[in-house]
Amino acid sequence: MSDPLLTVEGLRVVYRVPGRRTVEAVRGISFDVRRGRCLGVVGESGSGKSSLARAVLGLEERVDGRIVFDGENVLRMSRTEMQAFRRRAQMVFQDPMGSLNPRLKAGAALAEVRRVHGLAKTRREAAAQAADWLGTVGLDAAYANRFPHELSGGQRQRVNLARALCVGAEFLIADEPVSALDVSVQAQILNLLKSLQETRGITWMLIGHDLAVMRQMADEVLVMKEGQVVERGPVDNVLSHPTHPYTKELLSAAPGVRRALDRRAAERAV
Amino acid sequence: MTASGLGVGYATGGGERLEVAGEVDLILRAGRTTALVGESGCGKSITAAALGGLLPRGMNRDRGEIRWAGGGARGPGKGLAYVFQDPGECLDPVFTIGNQIRESLPKEDRGRARERMVDLLRTVGFDDPERVLASYPHQLSGGMQQRAMLAMALAGRPRVLVADEPTTALDVTVQAKILRLLADLQRKADLAVLLITHNLAVVAEIADEIHVMYAGRIVESGPVEFLKNPRHPYVQGLLKALPRLDGAARLEGIEGSVPPLGRRPPGCRFHPRCALARAVCAEQMPTWTACGPGHRVACWACAEGGWA
Repeated sequence: MSDPLLTVEGLRVVYRVPGRRTVEAVRGISFDVRRGRCLGVVGESGSGKSSLARAVLGLEERVDGRIVFDGENVLRMSRTEMQAFRRRAQMVFQDPMGSLNPRLKAGAALAEVRRVHGLAKTRREAAAQAADWLGTVGLDAAYANRFPHELSGGQRQRVNLARALCVGAEFLIADEPVSALDVSVQAQILNLLKSLQETRGITWMLIGHDLAVMRQMADEVLVMKEGQVVERGPVDNVLSHPTHPYTKELLSAAPGVRRALDRRAAERAV
Repeated sequence: MTASGLGVGYATGGGERLEVAGEVDLILRAGRTTALVGESGCGKSITAAALGGLLPRGMNRDRGEIRWAGGGARGPGKGLAYVFQDPGECLDPVFTIGNQIRESLPKEDRGRARERMVDLLRTVGFDDPERVLASYPHQLSGGMQQRAMLAMALAGRPRVLVADEPTTALDVTVQAKILRLLADLQRKADLAVLLITHNLAVVAEIADEIHVMYAGRIVESGPVEFLKNPRHPYVQGLLKALPRLDGAARLEGIEGSVPPLGRRPPGCRFHPRCALARAVCAEQMPTWTACGPGHRVACWACAEGGWA
């Protein structure tokens, strides 16, 4: 069993709402993510799962607890340590259009982050490497010359992944990475994520609401409700033997084509 | 309501007609739910908008016809009502729910508006209609907002209710409740429901008949049970691409992506992504093949003498 890349202890995230008292979005959560594994975080809107994701990457301001990434406390990092952390741990968002600069071609988007992180000295050098990185996410080198609006949703999400990988990301948090995509494309991106985990040893957290996607992708899963973890464990266990009523409710509401058809056939027979 | 050979065209700057959706045949029956399923850009929402004359500027329903049982042509508000995906955007934030439902009441109900509104809100599952009437949209959750939208849609006593992705913006547990409510309303009010969605699981949950669209054309139609054994390679692919709770280790996606308007291929529009495609598929648009009671498919491989 591999050691944890990320350990979170007693994490709290608090928002100050103007004119009101504070709201605690994440209320004391502890977990770890082992190297090369995928931790799924499931919950409905408002459960605090996105706040949790942002806090882990050091993007939230009022955070309590400990976040240890590869032996270092994220909340106590110096500027230079933080810069290295930002390179190694990255976020992939739901809306692939909103997370790309509309004025930068795909190749330039990759070249820019490599220059910012000091991985390429000149613009030309960076551009030359960009094509290789597009290859790792299954895009032809010709796509380097396309603007985001000239790409499909799935291709944009691939560019986002390449942008994270090209500066050496080892840890990714994907927040609903396929929710905005068509079903036939979702499968392509999910398979790509899985193969990045297998071939490049990427460690990641998958944030989402779809239990079937979790079943497919995650090794372990946390079920969140109102800022707290109500159930956790290996994904197969949690889905086949849920113990918390909320997990059971999520499971029974989870959509499934065959299940729905069988249930209706049974109802008609009665 | 029957729509036959429906086509929607978009006039380009050069005066050319681009087909957004074409050859759409739909029969909507009272007490039944018909689903139009497809991925983004397949023309399902445009077809739905064409039924009520709600097409965006530049698009025209220029092919086919719509007939109502009992005769006469009707528009939105006259027999046809819509519910859309994002209730938060459809409701006006500065008016109370009561104010907004009142606007959709037909003249004959204006006299006893309050009573009728309370009735409507009870029908869509509110226990405290008085409080909801006085509420502003932001005081309601997403699921409650969608219920309020349904009440508004029902205010005009429609015969056809078009629900365009009615649950997509909602959480799964809420989604299930709204779907049950829709099925319930359809039965009680003897409504014909046209459900527009990309979500096959939602379809399996409440639809009676379904039509799967791809790139502007219906490719397979029939009773919802055909989803257990679909014939069209695209529909088979969609089902394999869905993650399942009892899922296999790896998903099978469909290679490539849906062609945008204006770059739709000749022949069968799915042929560039289809593993079964042969020469004829690139040349001629497939014709219908019957494959069961009420079940038909537009695919050369499934046609008589086909290879699937």
